Amino acid sequence: MTDSGRARLAVFLVVGSIAVVGLLGVDASLRRGSREGETAAIFAVAARLPSLDLSLSGGARWLRMPSIEEPSAPFDLGPAMLDPDPAGGMMAPPRQAWVDETAIEKSRGPR
Amino acid sequence: MTLRVSSEVLRLRSLAAYAMGGLGRRRAKTFALGGALALAVALVGAVLFLTDALRAESERGRSAMPDLTVERLVAGRPSTISRADADKIRDLSSVRAVTPRAWGYLFLAAIQGNLTVIGVPPGAPALGAGEGSLVAGRDLVPGAHEMIAGRGLASLLGLDIGDELGLPSVHADAPPLKLVGTFASRVDLFTSDVVFCDESDARSLLGLGSAEATDLAVSVINPNESHVLANKIALALPGSRIIEKDVLGRIYALTYGRRAGVFLAAAIPALLALLVLGWDRVSALGPEEKREVAVLKAVGWSTADVLSAKLLESVIVAFVASALGLAIAYAWVFPLGAPGLRPTLAGWSVLYPNAPLTPAIDFAQLLSLALGIVAPFVGLSIVPAWRAATTDPMQAMRG
Repeated sequence: MTDSGRARLAVFLVVGSIAVVGLLGVDASLRRGSREGETAAIFAVAARLPSLDLSLSGGARWLRMPSIEEPSAPFDLGPAMLDPDPAGGMMAPPRQAWVDETAIEKSRGPR
Repeated sequence: MTLRVSSEVLRLRSLAAYAMGGLGRRRAKTFALGGALALAVALVGAVLFLTDALRAESERGRSAMPDLTVERLVAGRPSTISRADADKIRDLSSVRAVTPRAWGYLFLAAIQGNLTVIGVPPGAPALGAGEGSLVAGRDLVPGAHEMIAGRGLASLLGLDIGDELGLPSVHADAPPLKLVGTFASRVDLFTSDVVFCDESDARSLLGLGSAEATDLAVSVINPNESHVLANKIALALPGSRIIEKDVLGRIYALTYGRRAGVFLAAAIPALLALLVLGWDRVSALGPEEKREVAVLKAVGWSTADVLSAKLLESVIVAFVASALGLAIAYAWVFPLGAPGLRPTLAGWSVLYPNAPLTPAIDFAQLLSLALGIVAPFVGLSIVPAWRAATTDPMQAMRG
């Protein structure tokens, strides 16, 4: 490759990188605009919901709306403690184990 | 003047060509350093993108929430509140409306998860296809024992519109509910585990008496007075807890900010290791590189020329790696839905919403993030570049 080709490649890489960041910005703006168009639907549902907590909270605490039920719930379980299960955790719940357990209980029948 | 400009352009072009050539000659080192930087940017960027998207989603409909939520505490835990307390609040000045709400949880053994059952009071604004909150069916007809459910729940239970479901209840006479509508995916983040039904059905399912409510939603004529009104309610209803809408906003910001902070703090050792590795790689000039610089200086390159060429190498690597890292982070979080990362930051639930996230970050923030990576990386390479530029050519050639 000639010197002029290498220089052009250097400029292309720097300008191209800025362009990639610009494209991400444009895509983000388009997606945000599209989501803004859905605000009416969110408002309609939000008016009936107890709070706008996202439906992400784990079942372990039985707190689907932690922000209004236990304002410190998302943060800790004691003073200066890290939350070991901040509305979930690294691992998914053992759903298959629960299903199997339910099946075993069903097969045993009522006690 | 024109001659000086064109000679400067020629000089820059030659330096850029030399820098590209240098990067090509040390291909393995360039890819290792650039790749590691891109991966670090991707990890940090993805955490920031995801956190911002979740926070923005929580904030999106906040203006539709009541200004104050009033609960009753018994033994420090939320309990049901008397509907008669609503009248005491209505008497206070600057109160626009007080709505007793009936909602709660039901554990559904079939899916080993909790449903959030929400009673819709008579006269609530209708849901419909107009605003797009329902993907199928219609709104509830009061008194008809109907329900609207999230898509996650309907799909887990295999329910179709028109099917009836008997939910477990403490009251044996709780009626089965007929599914008349399912929520659209655009509201899935808020409704995947939600069942809307008539208020009387919700009371029956949840075991709430007709004189009780889960909490009271208070709207205020002038929202600026909500804090003052909260104090008045606390005096009028001893043992109550009042949650202000502004506090909820702060809770959302803190929750996701803190989770991202903990995650990023855990990643700091890895990022520091990368920087140390980068510093070591960039500062340790190999014999080939030393000879190369010595030859350049011997043929007349100034210290400034060598310094500029070395800095240009760092600039090119930093720009490309940052853009690549941000692109990977963006694709990971938004088009792909952040596999592996979303459960860590957003948690798990049995009825997990699968709705895509919306980017909250804009071009200016993306650019600042990119420059926040490029500037320290280039800054780190100044000392090694200076060391290379000031090498004595004779000494370097002797080895």
